[in-house]
Formats: sequence, C-alpha cells, structure tokens
Amino acid sequence: MDLLSGISATSGALNAQRTRLDVIAQNIANARTTRGPDGRAYQRRVVSFESELLRSSSPDGRGNSGLSTVRVAGIGTDTSPGQRISDPGHPDADAQGMVTLPNVNLAFEMVDLITASRAYEANLSVAKNSRQMAMKTLEIGR
Amino acid sequence: MLPVSAASSLAARSLQFQPEVERVRSPALEKAGGTPAPGGDFGSVFERMVNDVETRQADASEVTRSVLLGENPNLHQSVLAMQEASLSFSLMVEVRNKVVESYQELMRMPV
Repeated sequence: MDLLSGISATSGALNAQRTRLDVIAQNIANARTTRGPDGRAYQRRVVSFESELLRSSSPDGRGNSGLSTVRVAGIGTDTSPGQRISDPGHPDADAQGMVTLPNVNLAFEMVDLITASRAYEANLSVAKNSRQMAMKTLEIGR
Repeated sequence: MLPVSAASSLAARSLQFQPEVERVRSPALEKAGGTPAPGGDFGSVFERMVNDVETRQADASEVTRSVLLGENPNLHQSVLAMQEASLSFSLMVEVRNKVVESYQELMRMPV
C-alpha cells in the first residue's frame, strides 16, 4: 500500500540531487587543489542522472503505475585543461615555474549549486503537496 | 492515564460491537450468492490495519535511528517514512472515529 503517491520517485530524486550537491561541494572545496592523489591538479567532477523504473511493490505491478525515478548514473570527470599560472615559488610548480590550477570555475559551481538546491526544494514541495492531498482526502470523512 | 483508559474502553466497546456487524452482514451476503470478503470480519481487517501502522512506525524509527547514527546520509528518507507513518495513523484514527460514530448512532436509535 502506497499511501503517499509518487513518494518513492520523489525520494530517488532527492537522493540524486543530494549527491549532486555533495559533488558541487567537493568541486568548490578543491577549487585551488593543485595536487591530488595522482600528483596532478584536481579536475572538476560532474554528475549525470538516469531514469530508473521503480521496482513494483506487488508482483502484478499494481503497486506503482510504471513510475520511474531518477538515480545517479555516474560521476564523471571534466577533462578540460585547467588554467596555468606562473608561480615559481609554488611547491607544485614545474621546471618552467608554471602551476596548473584545477579547471573549477567558482561562478559555474555557484550556479550549479543554486540549481541543485532549487531542484531539491522542488522535490520537497512535491512531497509536501502529496501529504497535503492525502490529509485533505482524509477530511472527507469529517 | 485518563485518555488511555478512555481509549481502551472505546476499543472494548467496538469489540463488543463486532459480532453485530457480522450477524447483520453475513446473511445478506449468502442470500445474494456472494462469497464473504477475503478480508474477513471487521475485527481482523482493523487488526491488520493496526499492525500495518505499527510496522510503518517501526520502519520510520529504524530509518531515523540509522540517520542519527550516521549509517544513512539520507535525511529525507527518515522524514518521508515518518510522514507516511503519521498518515497511516491518521487513516486508522479516521476509521476508528467512523466506527465509534456509527455505534453511537445505533445506541441513540429508539427501540
């Protein structure tokens, strides 16, 4: 019995958007990281989503009418080259005194952050409205 | 303690009421040639409902516990589970209110 309709799709979407927020947080945190575990500058990560058909709660598939939710398909790496600046005193400078910075653009990340946060809020609104609809339905009996 | 005892007396009254429901309904069903509902009498239907509500509440507290312990990072799952549990509880209360209401209606009936 699925009391709150569509709540499993919303739950998956909230999960996906939260992962996106985590990845953006990682990008912003590493905006100036010039040395990762591989010895190179940090490369920006990007999340991609894919839709996923919900597993039916009942064997005859009546549980949820073919709703599909979203899940994180994978976290890819943005391979575009980072900015190179001249800083001979930097510990990670190469022989020419050049340092490769991460390809993270803070302005882009902030835009992504706002988009992810708004998408999360939109899904929260769906959950809230779904609950309000159910409560209003219960008021029929009063 | 008063609300609890009041609630239990209500429950007792609705339990006494059950056989009446069964007696009223069954002959009509047999006369119509229909089979009794697979759910059984109202008592067992309501009992299953209570069990379902309890399961949902146990699930919700389990998810909340795992979130609080840091095993599960998905805060929204805990909140959604709690919402679902609260909604199923409201539905159960609504059903109980209806039953009590119809019982009182019958008690007011002049004989």
